[in-house]
Amino acid sequence: MNDAAAQRGLRVGMVLADARAMYPSLDARDVKPDADLHLLETIADWCDRYTPLVGIDAPDGLYLDISGCAHLFGGEDTMRGDLCRRLAQQGFHARAAIAPSASGAYALARYSEVTNASNRNLRALLLPLPLAALRIGPGIVAGLAESGLKFIGDIADLPRAPLAARFGPQLIRNLDRALNHEDETIVPRLPLPSYIVERRFPEPVAREEDVLGTITHLADELARAMERHGDGARLLQAALFRTDGKVQRIEIGTGEPLRDPVRMSRLFDDRLAILADEYDPGFGFDVIRLSALSTARLDPVQSGLSGRDDTAELAHLIDRFSTRFGAARVQRLVENDTHIPEFATRVVAAQAVRQMSASLPPQESCLQDSLLPIRPIRLFEYPEPVSEPVAEVPDGPPVRFRWRQMLHEIVHAEGPERIAMEWWRDNADAVPARDYFRVESRAGTRMWLYRQGLYGESDEPPRWYVHGLFA
Amino acid sequence: MAAGHPAALDTLRQAIRTDHGFTEEASLPLGVKTIDATLGGGLALGALHEIAPEQPIHLAAAYGFSLSLAARAAGRLRTTLLIQPDFAGLEGGRLYGAGLELFGLSMARLLILRVGHPRDALFAMEEALKCRALSCVIAELTDDAPAADLTATRRLSLAAREGGALALLVRHRICKISSAAATRWTIAAASGPRDNFGGLGQTAFLMTLTKNRRGPCGRWTLTWNHHDGMLTDAAHPVSLAAAITGRPDRTAYASSR
Repeated sequence: MNDAAAQRGLRVGMVLADARAMYPSLDARDVKPDADLHLLETIADWCDRYTPLVGIDAPDGLYLDISGCAHLFGGEDTMRGDLCRRLAQQGFHARAAIAPSASGAYALARYSEVTNASNRNLRALLLPLPLAALRIGPGIVAGLAESGLKFIGDIADLPRAPLAARFGPQLIRNLDRALNHEDETIVPRLPLPSYIVERRFPEPVAREEDVLGTITHLADELARAMERHGDGARLLQAALFRTDGKVQRIEIGTGEPLRDPVRMSRLFDDRLAILADEYDPGFGFDVIRLSALSTARLDPVQSGLSGRDDTAELAHLIDRFSTRFGAARVQRLVENDTHIPEFATRVVAAQAVRQMSASLPPQESCLQDSLLPIRPIRLFEYPEPVSEPVAEVPDGPPVRFRWRQMLHEIVHAEGPERIAMEWWRDNADAVPARDYFRVESRAGTRMWLYRQGLYGESDEPPRWYVHGLFA
Repeated sequence: MAAGHPAALDTLRQAIRTDHGFTEEASLPLGVKTIDATLGGGLALGALHEIAPEQPIHLAAAYGFSLSLAARAAGRLRTTLLIQPDFAGLEGGRLYGAGLELFGLSMARLLILRVGHPRDALFAMEEALKCRALSCVIAELTDDAPAADLTATRRLSLAAREGGALALLVRHRICKISSAAATRWTIAAASGPRDNFGGLGQTAFLMTLTKNRRGPCGRWTLTWNHHDGMLTDAAHPVSLAAAITGRPDRTAYASSR
């Protein structure tokens, strides 16, 4: 319900038909709680420019923990004024109050005209407010009203035990919280970064080069801050605050702790390059912030005389590819403890394998043990069935078969190597064992072929599949 | 540190390099004399080489040959990057870790990048080649798409020269359009020698060198000896005595009688 409707005598809770009877031209819309919450989150995002600690108080409130931030904006009142003015420019009607406790600020903002309370006058300011300002249910408010208790001042000095026994512990707790007798933490909706650097502009910047240049400068500052504490970033975030309130966040993960500002800005450069359409400066950004969301220990190392650090360079390449193509696409292979060919090796994101290349000692010999059966170099994700297989004897390899519309005549075969499912698993019996053959065709190509099951096990002959290719 | 006297440090580095023979090796010998002679000492490092299967069915052979080259270039410590577009994996199978060691490549020294589009593969290859930490970059291309034309291969060659790594472009089909690669190879699987136990024996390649900047082209059959990690000439598995010459002509001797 908007102000115009309120002035004409409409009330919340009225039946729509009655309201329509009074004003036939009434414009009624359905409530969309999801959309409202989304809008509130967008505003919370925007409020991030004042403090990283923003909590949501659904459906229509926000908590900002401004301890230690207010002086950056010229004091508490100036900051409050700036916030309300900017929100008003965006078309929102906002009430804001500053108080030593979150519940106190809630009460003042919603039920009082006072906008700033200190520890000294908080109690005096809260006492004349109605009890609903304590965020207690309407049932308790009504119950208290029956006893003639209508204002906070009425209950502040009453004996507590009978009050708690009659109306529950919530009333006492909320009262204590409002009067700042009990600590109350604001739950921030975003993780709190370890390091933050930011730059504010009197005139918004929009060009991508300027944004990148700013990020480079900020990366420099961030690197110096992290160096003092011996940290390196594992997760970086650039937040671009648009003048119209939208906030764009660009996150970049690294495999190794990173402190080199040049490499940081290079990663952001790569990310901006692929954002393309999503990167929409609108009327420009007025705040650009760079924060390290997650950090890890990074001690300084002595650079070698050769002037090249292969490990760091490789880590940077992995980070760049992960930034551009997605972390899951840059992979390393690790062995898996199973004999099923499909699962013998497993891919892991290269960023997740920390220090692997650096810590592993050089292997004595990486040549395959001649006692192990030879494995193909390329394996099909799904084994490809072959048609028209002809085998000389039921258990032998096929003499010829058709695969991908080509007839392959086998001149030599090696096998079988029987690979059964893992018997210690529950459903191992459901899948028949496979007999693998290495076969060489007349053209010289070598394939890894298997027969699923045995002849005579069922009415249908067993099927043959090509599973991989040898060099 | 380095910021203070860059010139002095550079001079020192230069001195150490020349004194201890740390000069970058310009080429990678394959270990087969006839081929190395044709290539002018071996496969040029810091250059682009194209490898294609003679027919699509020989893809694995072409890939195996590339891996054997990568293993030679990597030595024991350095990392190899394989770039594979998604479609290449579907069509020709994905790289299988358990089979790699046959070619002397260790899984720990291998980095794999999967890309969605051939264009991305070329971009990634160029970026990776500039990174000096890699010994070899292998990229796969599923078709002779115009993506990898003369300009693109020229860019790759320049990037390879900058980084000094071995750059291998494995095409799934023989490409007719011109390319800036230093050498182009066509690989087919050949029937290798049988082992003594009735098995398939060693892997053999029929290799055709179709373009060579440093010399003539040629055609060889090589086998991959995975025990020693080297290629050997299938026609002359052991070195033979030189052909006998200078004997009297038998026919002339017969007619004189």
